[in-house]
Order: sequence, then C-alpha cells, then structure tokens
Amino acid sequence: MLPKADQTWTIFEAAHLLNRAGFGGSPSDIRNFHGLGREKAVESLVSPAEPLDAFPLPEWSSDEQVAEDYKKLIAGRQALRQQSRGLSPEKAEMAKREAQRAVRREYREREAEARTWWFRRMLTTEAPLREKMTLFWHDHFATSVQKVKQTALVVRQNDLFRRHAFGSFRDLTQAILMDPAMTLYLDTQSSKKGMPNENFAREVMELFTLGEGNYSEQDIREAARAFTGYQINRATGTVTHNKKQWDGSNKTIFGKTAPYDGKGVIDLIFTKKETARFMAGKLWEFFVYEKPNAAALDALAEVFQQADFRTGPLLREIFLSREFYAASSIRSQIKCPVQYSVGLLKQLEISTPPAGFPITSGEQLGQVLFMPPNVAGWDWGQAWINTNTLLTRYNLAGYLTKGAGETEKVMASEKVRMPGMKDTPKRAARGWDGPDYEKIAPRPLRENPENLVDSLIFRFFQGPLPEKARGPLVEYAIAKKGAIFTNKETAELCHLMLSTPYYQLY
Amino acid sequence: MKTRRDFLRTTVLGASAAWTVPMFVERTFGQLHEGARDIAIQPVTGKDDTILVVLQLAGGNDGLNTLVPYADDAYHKARPRIAKKEKDIIRLNDHVGLNSSMPFLGSMFKEGNLGIVQGVGYPNPNRSHFVSTSIWETADTSNRSATGWLGRYFDNACPGADPTVGISFNKTQPEAFGAAKNPGVCLNSPELYRWIHGGGEKAQAEEFFAELNQPDDHADDDMPADGGSIAMPAGGKTGGIAGEGNLAFLERVALDARVSSKTILELAAKHKTNVRYDGTPLARNLNLVSRMIAGGMPTRVYYVSHGGFDTHNQQANSHDRLLGQLDSALKSFFADLKQQGNDKRVVLMTFSEFGRRVAENASAGTDHGKASCLFLAGAAVKGGLHGVHPSLTDLSEGDIRHTVDFRSVYGGVLGDWLKAPKMKPILGAEYPKMGLIG
Repeated sequence: MLPKADQTWTIFEAAHLLNRAGFGGSPSDIRNFHGLGREKAVESLVSPAEPLDAFPLPEWSSDEQVAEDYKKLIAGRQALRQQSRGLSPEKAEMAKREAQRAVRREYREREAEARTWWFRRMLTTEAPLREKMTLFWHDHFATSVQKVKQTALVVRQNDLFRRHAFGSFRDLTQAILMDPAMTLYLDTQSSKKGMPNENFAREVMELFTLGEGNYSEQDIREAARAFTGYQINRATGTVTHNKKQWDGSNKTIFGKTAPYDGKGVIDLIFTKKETARFMAGKLWEFFVYEKPNAAALDALAEVFQQADFRTGPLLREIFLSREFYAASSIRSQIKCPVQYSVGLLKQLEISTPPAGFPITSGEQLGQVLFMPPNVAGWDWGQAWINTNTLLTRYNLAGYLTKGAGETEKVMASEKVRMPGMKDTPKRAARGWDGPDYEKIAPRPLRENPENLVDSLIFRFFQGPLPEKARGPLVEYAIAKKGAIFTNKETAELCHLMLSTPYYQLY
Repeated sequence: MKTRRDFLRTTVLGASAAWTVPMFVERTFGQLHEGARDIAIQPVTGKDDTILVVLQLAGGNDGLNTLVPYADDAYHKARPRIAKKEKDIIRLNDHVGLNSSMPFLGSMFKEGNLGIVQGVGYPNPNRSHFVSTSIWETADTSNRSATGWLGRYFDNACPGADPTVGISFNKTQPEAFGAAKNPGVCLNSPELYRWIHGGGEKAQAEEFFAELNQPDDHADDDMPADGGSIAMPAGGKTGGIAGEGNLAFLERVALDARVSSKTILELAAKHKTNVRYDGTPLARNLNLVSRMIAGGMPTRVYYVSHGGFDTHNQQANSHDRLLGQLDSALKSFFADLKQQGNDKRVVLMTFSEFGRRVAENASAGTDHGKASCLFLAGAAVKGGLHGVHPSLTDLSEGDIRHTVDFRSVYGGVLGDWLKAPKMKPILGAEYPKMGLIG
C-alpha cells in the first residue's frame, strides 16, 4: 500500500485528478468535481455510472455488417473477374485499380468516422477514466489500421479495451491473443507448425507483459511455436485455433516444459512477478510521472498482484495516494496530443468541435487515433514536443480561440501555402466562429484586466503561473483594454496564454 | 566553452526584457551569425560546408534481398520462395548484385559514387526493433546512453552553432539527435513553421509571445517555480537534452523554434526546382532537404526516414516496392543537388536497425535478424563494395554474423566527411578507418 493522501483536498488537487484521470474540464466542471470530496471523486472515476454502450459503435462495425461487407468484397472480386474476361490486359488492370480505389476510399471514410466517433466520446463522456484507460490500452496493445485495413476490426478492438478498462489485465491479454486486429497486425494468422513466425511471441513478452530483459531468445523461439495455428476467419471477423496448424510438441519456456498453446504461454507469463511490476510501472508512468522510485513500484506491484491483475483497484490506489498529489506530480507531465485537444475544447467549453478538428489536430500534432507508429505505441513525454509540433500546437490554439475568419485572412494575406494540409485548416475551421467569450470572460470581468487574467489562468492552467509569465499577460491585457475589451481582444489574450510552454504541461 | 544557451542569453535575451524592444526573431539570426564568426565554428551561410543526410530504413531492412548474394547456393536454399534469381538483379560482381528495383543506385555504383558496406552490425545484437534502433541511434551497444551519436557530434564538434545545425523531417525528434546542449530542430512543413498571430497589432502580440517563450533564467536550478516547473529527469530517449526538466525542455524548444523559424521560412520560399519528385513521404522530405541546402542553411546533418521494412509476411512485393521508392527518391534528390551545384557537398548514408533472418518464414517473409548492408551515396564517397560479405553457412542463431561494426562507419563519416576533430567524445572510442570517403 502507498501512503494515502489527506482527507482535505484543494480545488487544484481536484483539477489535477480530473486532468490526469480524465481530460480536464471547465472551471464549473472542476468545482462540481471538487464538491464530491476526494474519495467519492475517485470512486466516480473508477466505477462510472455511464453504461458501456452509451455511445453506439459505428453501424458498419457490427457482426452482420462485417459478414455483409465480406460477401460484398468476394462478390465484387468475382464480378470484376467476369468483367475482365472480355477486356484487354490494360483495361482489365484499370478496372482492377478502380475497384481497389473504391475500396480504399471506403476504408478512409470509415477511418475518419471511427476517429471522430472516439474523439467525441472522449470529449463528452461522463466516464472519462474509462476512455483514458481505453487510450492506455490502445497504446499498450498498439494496432494500426494502416496494416489491419478493416476499420471494423480496430473499432471492435477499441470496444474490447473499453470493456476491460478496469478489469483483469490477464483476461485482456488472453483476449488480445484471439483479437482479429492484433492477429492481422502481427501476422499471427500465417504462423504455422514447422515454420513459426516470431512476431507475436516477441511482442507479447517484450512490450505487452514482461518487458525487455525478463525473457531469453530461447523463450521467444519456443513461445513462437506455441502461438502457431491461430487463424482468422475474415467472413466473421473472428480468430480460431486450428489444431492442425499448431505445433503440439513440447516447448521449454522459462525453464518449464509442456506442449503449450498460446493460452498456456500467456498463463505462464502471468505467473512471473515481473509482469505485475512491468504493468504497474507503466500505469504509474502514464498517470503520474516517469521513473517512480523502487519502493513505490514494489507497493504497486503488490497491490496489482493481490487484485489478480485487475486495474480498477490499482488505479484507486494511485489516485488516493499522497504521491499522486505531490508537487513532483502536479503539472509535471507533457500533454499528449489527445489530451491537449480534448482538454482545450473542454476548457473553452466547446462541446461540438469544429468539423474536421478531431482528425486535423491528431495528424498535425502526431497522435492519429487507430494509427500508432508501431507496435510499441507512441513515444510519450518529451517525445511529443519538438520545434515543429510546439509551433503547431500554438497555431491550432489560434484557430480554436479566434475562429476561422481571422486565421484564413492571415493565411491568404501572407500567401502561405500548406503542403499536405491543403484543405485541412478550412476543414477544421469551416463555419467556426470561435468559443463563446461572453460565457468564458463575462463583460464585468473585463473591467479589471488583472481579474480577467487570473480567471483565465485558472481556466487554462488550474494553478498559479510564475510571475514572469503572469506579469506580461496582465500588462498585455491592460494595453489591450483601451476603451473597450472586445471578444476579439479576449481571443488574442487567450491565444497568447495558450502559446506558452506552461500550457503544454498538466 | 560557453553553451549555446549561455551564448543566447548574453548576446540576445539580455537585451530583450521589455516589449519596447523590436521583435526578437527579426534580429536573432544576424546576431547569431556574428557570434558564430567570433568563435569560428561555421561560415555565415554554411555554403562551403560538407553535409550528411542520414536516411533511416525503419523496420529492419532485409540486406540479403537488397544486396543479393545471388551466386551463393545457401541463399537460394534458405529462401525458396523469395530469393532473387540472377536475372532479377543488377550484377555488381561474381558474387553479389543489387535488387533490380534500384536502377539508379545501380548506375551510381557503376559511376563510383555509391559505396555499399557489407555485413554491418554490432556485437551481441538485439532483435527488438526498439532496442536495436536505439543502439544504432545512440551508438551505444549497451543501450544506456541518453544522448545520440549526432547530438554528441553537435555538442562536441559544433559549439555555438544555432539549433538548425541538425534538422529532422520526422514528426518526432530522432534519438540520434539527443544531446547535452544542442539537439537540432524538427520540422514538417516549412510554410507553417512559425507562430501565426492572426489578429490586430501583430508586432505587439509577437513581442509578448517572445517574452512568454523565453527560457527561464533559473530553469537549470531544478527548483519548482510557483507550481509551474517541476524538475524531473528526462527519459533521455526522446531527442531531448538528458536530465532536463519538462518545463526547461519546453522553454528551450520554444526558443529553438523561434530562432529557426524565420530563416527556414524564407529559405523554403526561395528555392524552386524543376526536378520531379514522387509523392512518397521520403521523396517529399528529400525535396525539403534539397530546398534547405539550396537556400544555404548552415545545417550539417539532415535526418529523414523511410518506413515499412518489417516484412514478416509476403515480403517480395512490398520489399521491392520500398526499395524502388528509395531508389526513385534518391534519383530526384541527387539530380536536384547537381542542378544546384551542391552535389559535391552532400553524402547520404542509410541505416536500418537490423537485417532479417537468412531463411524465409512460413509466410514468405523474414523474421528479425542481425547484420545487414548499408549505402553511402555521393560524389565524395569511395564507391564500390566495402568489407567482406558475411558467410551464409557460418551463422549465429540463423543469422549472418557482422563483419563491420557500425561505429566504424559512423567514425568514417564523422572524421573524414564532417571533420569532427576527435572521435572519443562522440563514439566513446576510436574505430579503425575504413576509407569510405575520398
């Protein structure tokens, strides 16, 4: 057990919990959350009232539709073959390409739909920790739609992560073995008796459970034989274990010998204490800070093992611990792009983001949902920030705070061309007038620039800013006030606040 | 020796405390160049300097189907489905040939401008993509270094250089750029590489922007500043500066972005080429590199990536296609450089985290292996085959054994091309010269 936090908790601590265990909120969201008290607030996150199916999945991800689509695909191929018989090879090739283009177009549309669907869910859910855990699992068991191609399968995987958000990590790992998206992603479906493919065996141990250094190359080779024979049925989008393609002979893994299959190897992995430690550490790093001390890690691993690898009890332990609210934790982490975008919308009280924004922001900031760069997931922390992404964050904040008109005017007047982003700002900004500043910065507040700045500082930073940052902001607000402090000037002040290194931390 | 940060502070930031001072970015470069001249590290325009382009083949390139040992029976035996026949390759000698998807590299070889280093690897190789990439990027086979080999080059051989000494066209900073002082910059679209204000009274807003994005003078003290700054050791695996707290890190990146953005923006707009590039990300990024070079950036190292080499499954088509994209992008790039008259200033080096297993797997693909080949391209390169092709019968766990340590290749480009005075602080040791340049 970790030392527990005090009974009393401040509004800043409440904001910190809502930031880390969710995606933050508006000042009134934070005040309501603070009103619950620490224990109840944590409980509301770990045992949310919102049902799992509160947001229906895109209809094309249903069993029926997957089967239907498969039939359509086969029929399309047959029709194409028939059609091509009378054609010259060139014309036949063209017809084939056209058909492929149509399929790809549909894939792309579905990908965009899936991304928007999940983004909006993260933005509006009343079970934010569940979505945060879904994001955690998506990064942990990373699978890219780029390779899987069937968007329905990654959406179903997403649903699987949500269902296991607070449940057993072992059950989830077993489910991943039978998950069609993962099977396609790591080529497990082509790994057969006699000629195993080591991809899945390696990543299960290195990235999913034990961590580098806690297994041998021999363990990988042997486990790869156990992971043979798993096949995917594309018509139903399910994975089955074909015993004929499975290597049923003895394998020696971690010094134990038996005719393991995939399930058996995973059970074996979960008898190793390194697994609890590896995962407890990873969750701590995700929710609190990097490199926890060894004692804290021991305590967490203990809690995790006693909870039979259920993440709910572990998360409760983390969010009630004193260390979670320590100065070394609060505003010490760099926001990932999803956190940045969803959090900013919440702070600006925008419940319906500008069209295209969920997709554009992910592409520009380096976190495209359903498309992690590789099986290790995204690199976190400082890796999100470089000169390029930092400027892009500042400029996205400009779109959101100032609305489409202003930004487009600047782009046009300065003749900025945007390769690879041609229509995205327009897409992101179409019809976008900016947030409701009458609500965010009521007129009476604008009478006193210092109060205005402090109110916006709480909204955006949920804590005091160092004077070297607050000073210029107050000065700017005073200079801007002039005769009347309009919405346009408020927007400029907000943009300036968001164009700072401080805003990247939470 | 002053750090770049000290330097910036004393020469520029010291003067820009109030918003009556003209916009920071306008003046920065002139002053930087003044300073640079004083400590004699690089010419103002960088026009005469040598340039290294590092091209990462991400995912583990199959060296055996890149530089094909077509005359070796063991090769055909191990790869009944995916082996390249003699008629499918560009013959280089009686033993090996290039994958025929690379006609441009084939002609470059014949002209003596392509060096192929065979059997490159390191002792006790690791088959994890991530660990092995990290080893190549840090040049530390124990995988403990928090800095990268190029970052250490910037730190040790380019003191006082501005942040554009290294430019990566990846969305994320490569681990190779990890540095104690200067990790270079990262950009995607030069046109958007700036702060867009989009409102009235631009100059005033930009001055405040500059002030808010100025490093904290006490950021190095590791002291939490009013809840805004929490010092925390960095992972060191991210291209950041080792041991830097997150706020100090953010402030430094913000400064680097401001310092580099104006120049990059101007240069990118200036150069036009009539060389056609493909639409692949690699070609697009090499096009950007050539624009930067044409514009006279003082950059010494550019970094680009070409991904997709993790060919576990049905390898033949996808691998050939990837090599074809590489070849075509390089063809455009070198033609462009030639037109600019900069072709003699540039050497391009490829690398990949590992090669593939000698034997194909059941999916007509290849699993993670060990040693592989790499390319050095450019007029200054000593063309031909370097090192010995490893045996396909004397294997280590099914993989070829390395015959060349990758750090001796790094040593060659650092010493003979980038003129790093000392190798020890960068690579940890001196490596035998291979004669790769000149």
